[in-house]
Amino acid sequence: MNSKLIKELPELIENKVISKEVALSIEQYYHSKQNNSPNKLFMVFGVLGSILVGLGIILILAHNWDDFTRSTKTIFAFLPLLIGQFFVGFSILKKKSATWKEASGTFLFFAVGASISLVAQIYNIPGNMSSFLLTWILLCLPLIYLLKSNSIMILHLVFITWYACSYGYSFMNYSNSPWLYLALLALSLPHYWQLLIHKLDANITSIINWLVPLSLIITLGAFVEHEEALGFLLYLLLFSLFYNIGKIPYFENQKLRRNGFLITGSLGIVIILLIASFRWLWKDIIRIDSFQVQELYMSAVLFLMSILTLVYLYLKHKVKSFNIFQFVFVIFTVLFFIGINNEMVPAILVNMLIFALGVVTVKIGADKFHFGVLNYGLLIIAALVTCRFFDTDMSFVLRGLLFVGVGVGFFLTNYYMLKKQKSKTNSLKQ
Amino acid sequence: MKTLYIFILFIIVVCAQLFVPSQMIFQQEDVLKTGTAFKFKTQPVDPSDPFKGKYIFLNYEASTFSTADTTWQRNEDVYVTIKHDSLGFVQVTQVTKNEPKSEFYIKAKVDWYNEFEKELNIVYPFNKFYMDETKAYNAELAHMKAQQDSIPNNTYALVFIKNGKAVLDNVFINEIPIAKYVEK
Repeated sequence: MNSKLIKELPELIENKVISKEVALSIEQYYHSKQNNSPNKLFMVFGVLGSILVGLGIILILAHNWDDFTRSTKTIFAFLPLLIGQFFVGFSILKKKSATWKEASGTFLFFAVGASISLVAQIYNIPGNMSSFLLTWILLCLPLIYLLKSNSIMILHLVFITWYACSYGYSFMNYSNSPWLYLALLALSLPHYWQLLIHKLDANITSIINWLVPLSLIITLGAFVEHEEALGFLLYLLLFSLFYNIGKIPYFENQKLRRNGFLITGSLGIVIILLIASFRWLWKDIIRIDSFQVQELYMSAVLFLMSILTLVYLYLKHKVKSFNIFQFVFVIFTVLFFIGINNEMVPAILVNMLIFALGVVTVKIGADKFHFGVLNYGLLIIAALVTCRFFDTDMSFVLRGLLFVGVGVGFFLTNYYMLKKQKSKTNSLKQ
Repeated sequence: MKTLYIFILFIIVVCAQLFVPSQMIFQQEDVLKTGTAFKFKTQPVDPSDPFKGKYIFLNYEASTFSTADTTWQRNEDVYVTIKHDSLGFVQVTQVTKNEPKSEFYIKAKVDWYNEFEKELNIVYPFNKFYMDETKAYNAELAHMKAQQDSIPNNTYALVFIKNGKAVLDNVFINEIPIAKYVEK
């Protein structure tokens, strides 16, 4: 990007768009900026190289060299670990660049896993996957802070999700809730916080903006043990919380695609509500036998967290206009508890709610001149109509007219927006 | 100064990272050196593990135990008390939910309870034997062949037991270690 701009400079001077002095200062600005930041490409390749070498060593050791004695194999188990530790220690002591720290840290991360699994292999300890992953994660967690390493942070997020899944989800067995996952996630959040404060615009921050909500979405189901119906409420509450978190200035002021919380939250809310718009769900699934379950307490906690985020947003004057997305969790919670005894009322109200969400999204898209958001709103309405296509007794003519209506809506709103945009750019030119 | 602090903390992490595998080794070596050997009749099959490579999965004959008690829960910890039979093979004498006072016992898990046969199925913590990846499949074949010859019960796992901990030392076909047997 920068080099492209610098290449354009001579042409700009020639055509007298800018003066020579301005061109010179632009060039100097980018040169000084480049010197300050480490070479990103080099760092990416360093980390990728470490991951590949680390995984390669795990595979080579997994061959299980029969020809070596038990003690020789044991020494080999420690070798990658010691090499990794040496390089990490070296980069700390010599105050090496971030590239060094990221690459050596990533290598050490895999070396720890390799040595534990090799010892388990030498002594035929089957163990279970989750306790192996837990030991691995705990032994590498301090490296996030000691090296200020983002790649280990990403590995940490991936591995704690893996741990939670292997601990919490199981077929046939009675499953456990991976509470430790929450502690492990919390232990990595200070690093995330530092990133949000100091490196808000960095690519790495936006990767973590996506990984944190995705990890929580994948894991939440492992906490549902007794009352599956409450899982619906839990997921909707989680998505609503994400949506509201996505509205916090840190995230809101960024590009939409960097705001993983807002996008996962919004999509999640719509998907859960679409499922809940079917009557059979309320009739057959939403049943609760006992209220003394952890799912209910967790719902209460998520509900409170959403309220607190809303209060925070209100205090920061971020709740300017009424956005129904931010309050969906209150409406749905009420509907959910009505739905335990009643199937008709919540089904109808959820349909109306989805329609309202669609209209609000279209309006937001129109106000912000954002075609993506506008069409997303129309898609919500289209999805709602499609769902009703299957389970209502409406005549085919009526259903057909509804579809034509939504289709025409797509054309008209987009056409209207395009026209408005053109007139705006025209007025700018004049 | 700050670098020094970070480095000291890092050294602590290094020690922890070295301690965990070392401690695993010492525990296992201790059982192997001072524990008592038991032979478990077995039937191996070979799957693989992404981190630890190829292994043979061992189905033990001693993994079922007849009992009228029906209160077993899946994945529950149980203590299996064992003794040698006249040929040196293992014999399960009782399965309890609390740690027994007897000398030889293994901490294992409940697989499931067969109400029809009134049999408890047990999962032992030593049901995987890791092998050279080129040999694991051959080991399974060799075992199938050995089962078909005239000598009965000729495949067994040698397990060392100490204070409820068990370490699988080797698997034998006709008294020859399985890795060597496959090479023949």
